[in-house]
Amino acid sequence: MTTILIVDDEYLIADVLSFALEDEGYLTVTAGSGKRALSILDREKPQLIITDYMMPGMNGIEFAEAVRAHRSMQGVPIMLMSGAQAHLGMARPDLFVQVFDKPFDIHAVVSKVKSLLKPDDT
Amino acid sequence: MNQLKRLQSGIQGLDELLKGGFVAGSSYIIQGRPGSGKTILANQIGFNHARDGGRVLFATLLAEPHERLFQFLSTLSFFDKDKIGDQIQFVSAFDTMENDGLDEVVKLLRREIVRQKSTVMILDGLLNARSRADSPLNTKRFISELQGHAAFAGCTVFFLTSSQLDDGSPEHTMVDGVIELGEELVGTKSIRRIKMRKTRGSGAIPGSHECEITEDGLVVYPRLESTVTHSAMRDSDQCSLIPSGLTGLDPLIGGGLVASSVTLLMGPSGAGKTSIGIGFLGQSTVEEPGLHFGFYESPQRLRMKAAALGVDLARLEQEGALSIMWNSSTTELVDKLALNLLRVVEEKSIKRVFLDSLGGMSRAAADKTRMLDLYTALMSELRARNVTVIASWEVRSLLGGEIDAPAPDLSGIVDNLLVLRFVEEPAELKRQLSILKVRDNPYNPALLEIVFGDQGLDVKKVHFHALGDTNHV
Repeated sequence: MTTILIVDDEYLIADVLSFALEDEGYLTVTAGSGKRALSILDREKPQLIITDYMMPGMNGIEFAEAVRAHRSMQGVPIMLMSGAQAHLGMARPDLFVQVFDKPFDIHAVVSKVKSLLKPDDT
Repeated sequence: MNQLKRLQSGIQGLDELLKGGFVAGSSYIIQGRPGSGKTILANQIGFNHARDGGRVLFATLLAEPHERLFQFLSTLSFFDKDKIGDQIQFVSAFDTMENDGLDEVVKLLRREIVRQKSTVMILDGLLNARSRADSPLNTKRFISELQGHAAFAGCTVFFLTSSQLDDGSPEHTMVDGVIELGEELVGTKSIRRIKMRKTRGSGAIPGSHECEITEDGLVVYPRLESTVTHSAMRDSDQCSLIPSGLTGLDPLIGGGLVASSVTLLMGPSGAGKTSIGIGFLGQSTVEEPGLHFGFYESPQRLRMKAAALGVDLARLEQEGALSIMWNSSTTELVDKLALNLLRVVEEKSIKRVFLDSLGGMSRAAADKTRMLDLYTALMSELRARNVTVIASWEVRSLLGGEIDAPAPDLSGIVDNLLVLRFVEEPAELKRQLSILKVRDNPYNPALLEIVFGDQGLDVKKVHFHALGDTNHV
């Protein structure tokens, strides 16, 4: 199954996304910070990452840069969810395949995920 | 004497209560029931601080998503979306608290304060930390460690909690200040209050003060009598006279009203209080403008009434010699009214005020027992600003000489006391004016009758009837 890593310090947001994607047949893993997410990259080997911008420790851009620096994660698509800082994400097409404004439309997010990956793309 | 560095809240009235602002680097608890305005107050402090160039860390131990908070805050003028993620960081420590405990929350926030170079930290959901701590000692340790790290980084901390913590709680003993927000039902009216429960090193104005939440956020109205305390020191030592507006009255009180004096005009409804006030304001000039501060007649009705008395209020307004402020006694807060009056007096260099009436203003007060203190402060301040005031007070007795005291000792705070009453005569009801007190000037105690002549409203001496004698002889 396709694994999606969701990174958000607000666990409710992470849970909402996680449940919606699991309903579509994806396997999801959540992490409350960029640091924690980096620590489980090798173990989970996600095919897609969805990250928040404003988080403790490192922000979404710093986290995405760290992911890109990771040997096995250079081609993994990353989506950014952000409120006021969406413009910062949009300025980095090298890091993000898509930037969603918060609060996001869950159907739009799921639809974008589906266009990038099928639930059984492994 | 050492002066502590202050962090201004930027909130109208609050910095005045705190004698200049919060003590920078200190820690405060903002407590109050859900809906009391804690989150608005804290965010207002945060956004104002960011506007002044500071950096803010807003951390939450609650499960509520930040986007929901932004949605509500976006209706308030201080909210600036562009500051979020830049000067103001919103992070959730709920997950960390749940999974890793309070020690990890302290570590996370300590690192964030340093990483974000935060000069203010707001921690929402202190109640959850208390629930997560195994003992009061651990709650104390959590607060102590957080404020220790924050103080070291020069960061001022605000803990928000919805619990009603008492003075002996571990939380209260640890922090430098406690601010309580509350709401109280007075009749069917809901009054918001802010109270400084503990203010270490601040000398803040204690007690409870009224506040409200507007589109600009929280606005605090310090109790007037607690902030305006030394007005009399600024009293003028010159004694000049100004016309009262009643030509016949002035010679009887030594030539006119003493400038910067306060005159209380008492009488039943319809006895002529407003008409005398209009005559008084009719003497306003561009150099010495007047203000009608009323609760009953709308500006339109007042202009019509004045026109019937031969006073052209509209012209005076156009010239800039007069302002009319019509107020609601049922929806406004009494300190807000008093502060508005002083603000307009300041802005427009007002020199004569007709306050119609003290009764109307008192109706706005949630706590009637403090009205004498408030009026004492208000009148002293107006005197100190060289304003001559006539204030009206409606008494209940319609006929006769019995007079209801408007408020205990109210007559003591005014310089002049005039009483209006109705007197029955055969087939006629007449209005009489009595001078009960004139400070600093001899006066003629003759009974006066109110007359409407060619020159408008005036008084003339009455040669019969004693005060209270309603039977024609």
